[in-house]
Amino acid sequence: MIEVARHLAGGFVDLLQAANLLALGVGLVVGMLVAVLPGLTLVMGVVLALPFTYGMPVTPSIILLTAMYISGTYGGAITSILFRIPGEPMDVPLLWDGWSMAHAGEPARALGWTLFAALTGGLITATVMVTLAVPFAKVALTFDSPEYFSIVLFGFTSVVTLGGGSLANALISLFLGMLIATVGVDEIYGVDRFTLGIDMMRDGIGYLPVMVGAYGVGEVLVRLEQGFASAPMAGGGAIKTRIPSLAEAWKIRGTFARSSLVGVICGIIPGAGATIASFVAYGVEGQYGPRRRELGKGIPEGIVAPQVASTASVGGHMVPLLTLGIPGSGATAVILGAFLLHGVQPGPQIFTTQSALVYAIFASTFAAVIGMGLLGYFAIRPLVKVLFLPEAIVSVFVIMFCLVGAYSEHNNLTDLWMIVVFGVVGYLFERYRFPIAPMVLGCILGPIAETSFLTSMISYQNDWTIFFTRPVSGVVLALAAVALLLPFYSRLRRKPDLAAKTP
Amino acid sequence: MRACIRAVALPALAFVAWYSGITTAQDKYPSRPIEFVVPWGPGGGADQVARKLGQLLEAELKVSLPVINVAGATGQTGHAKLISANADGYTIEVMTGDTFALLAEPNPKIKLADFTPLGILIQQASAFFVAENSAMKTWADVEAAARTRALKVAVTGFSSPDDITVNYFAARGLKLSSVPYAKPGERYTSIVGGHADLLYEQAGDVRSLVDSKQIRPVIFFYGGKVNDFPGIPTSTSLGHNITLPQFRVVLVKAGTDPARVKLLSDAIARAAQTADFKAYLKEQYADEASFVPAQEVLPYMQRWLEEAKKVMAAIPVKK
Repeated sequence: MIEVARHLAGGFVDLLQAANLLALGVGLVVGMLVAVLPGLTLVMGVVLALPFTYGMPVTPSIILLTAMYISGTYGGAITSILFRIPGEPMDVPLLWDGWSMAHAGEPARALGWTLFAALTGGLITATVMVTLAVPFAKVALTFDSPEYFSIVLFGFTSVVTLGGGSLANALISLFLGMLIATVGVDEIYGVDRFTLGIDMMRDGIGYLPVMVGAYGVGEVLVRLEQGFASAPMAGGGAIKTRIPSLAEAWKIRGTFARSSLVGVICGIIPGAGATIASFVAYGVEGQYGPRRRELGKGIPEGIVAPQVASTASVGGHMVPLLTLGIPGSGATAVILGAFLLHGVQPGPQIFTTQSALVYAIFASTFAAVIGMGLLGYFAIRPLVKVLFLPEAIVSVFVIMFCLVGAYSEHNNLTDLWMIVVFGVVGYLFERYRFPIAPMVLGCILGPIAETSFLTSMISYQNDWTIFFTRPVSGVVLALAAVALLLPFYSRLRRKPDLAAKTP
Repeated sequence: MRACIRAVALPALAFVAWYSGITTAQDKYPSRPIEFVVPWGPGGGADQVARKLGQLLEAELKVSLPVINVAGATGQTGHAKLISANADGYTIEVMTGDTFALLAEPNPKIKLADFTPLGILIQQASAFFVAENSAMKTWADVEAAARTRALKVAVTGFSSPDDITVNYFAARGLKLSSVPYAKPGERYTSIVGGHADLLYEQAGDVRSLVDSKQIRPVIFFYGGKVNDFPGIPTSTSLGHNITLPQFRVVLVKAGTDPARVKLLSDAIARAAQTADFKAYLKEQYADEASFVPAQEVLPYMQRWLEEAKKVMAAIPVKK
């Protein structure tokens, strides 16, 4: 342990070099900007930054990409909370409590909680990464496709938690999302599905146009219908950033602990990631949180859980990358690419061959988390002010950012048409009280669920009991079953409180 | 009347001259980023070669080449992206031997007539790997084990050379079965984590796992000797007539203007000769003479396809 501390101190000294600090600062700012743009995903941002690292030495390159990755898990929260448009898929769960709290007149408090959560999640994950990297990576290796499937299934059960209004509508929305995700060439057997013989459809429909369209464009259409006449946010005058006090945070320490654990675990498992972590953490809160009944109405727990988990997953992802050379997510795959381009081979030997580099990365993770906190703190004030601009003008910018972001993702005009189509779908959903979130969830998690299910069946000779007999998978499935059945049970027991809310 | 015609014709001519000047300027190719489709997940061999080539081509073509990973269906999902794009030279794709092998199937969805090859960049021998902590240490161990119990082989997808190789041995009494993992991260986890018994891969793609003594090759599928691993047997030395070397070829959609095809293939040929690219080949445990220029790619592909078809025809039970 002393050895680790000594190496880490050396890492901080390395970090103080001008090039490394510059990379850290640039990474934090760019990562946050990329995450704020709804159409442009964090992974794409890291990919776009990769070519700039070709000419740089290896340490600042990795610091730049890691800093982007960390601050990117926070930036998208801002648009979720303020505009009800998730900047990243992982920010979808923030729409419920985050936006509700902001809408109830406390945008700065909601943002303060997110910031505090990101900061905590980040520090926890950095600590875990430094101290437990090797043993945790070993645990992650025991996860196979049945476990991936069970975890994703658990993510789906958050629909029940989040459905709020009508469970039937939530399920219709979820299955529609899964159906949309099946369009195109299937992952395992290469069969065309619902392509109607059109080449463009073989390409499939990504979750990005669905998410950006249904939330971004859909929201603007709803406001357009109301003639952009909605009253300015209630109590908006008090735009002082409110970081929760330690006493407030201590009250919900259970939420912090549960969500950090979910985040780190989902991060370490290859194939899961920040988005799944975020949904699962929210689902866990809906099941086991002491205030689960109030979830979705704008309570801090609902903001903290997904945000802590998203940020905590980053350190989790770095663990298998550094210790085994296995990238667990899109962003870490790009970081692996950066390592390889500089002739560094991650793996168990990296701790001995490149220990200075590894500890500089560790040190930069701590610094990036704190830098993200500072940046976020000062960004909140001007961002909240945007809410007081005329709605029509904000809407124009929202549409523009949605389209520009999505276009730069694939340089493909078809995506923009898809966004418009799903904008109309989102508007109709709002209009007829169907929740949008389950559809987006279905689009994101549906393909992962399908692939991991089929791979499990192939791998275990079509033995479906494998999902129940493997311990981790079995436990997660049992939790999912509880999550599914509990609402029915409690509805039977007491008169339901059906405050309609359509997330 | 004549004056009138002149009055109209002269400005018209001037306009035509001016306009054609503009269109030539607009036709300057490439004038915007070229999308580089990788039909596999980030971090794998196809991804690495595309990023390497993209970097070198950026210097040649003076435009950026953003890599887009569209994984799934043994590369067909990404290939569909190339086919659905315009034939304007602004979308290129790296196709791997895995996807190309689908052409050996009875009714292939991929057609040779759909694309124009620009050059083969890398050729590598594939191998079966075992985890270092596995009880099986050599190919003889694997053969012995596979006669008594079922072994799972982590492959990229069905009908790929990986799958064909697995079926080749399955037809010879070894109880091997393919488990498809399209994402490299999951495929490598499966072997290191012990969920699969064997991994079919090119040594260069898993160099970090080989160098860090987490996995080891037990047999190479290759005609010649594999210089970097002298102690490991090759398929041909053991009398198995199956090699199907991995290759990665860059394609553009068929029907692209031949001038643009030439410009691209020339740039790729120059990039392949750079010291940077040669160093990359060495790092990848690849054949040093990997590069095949555009005009020789189709005959190479035909020969490869014949071998695949021959192997497949020899497999009695087709699943």
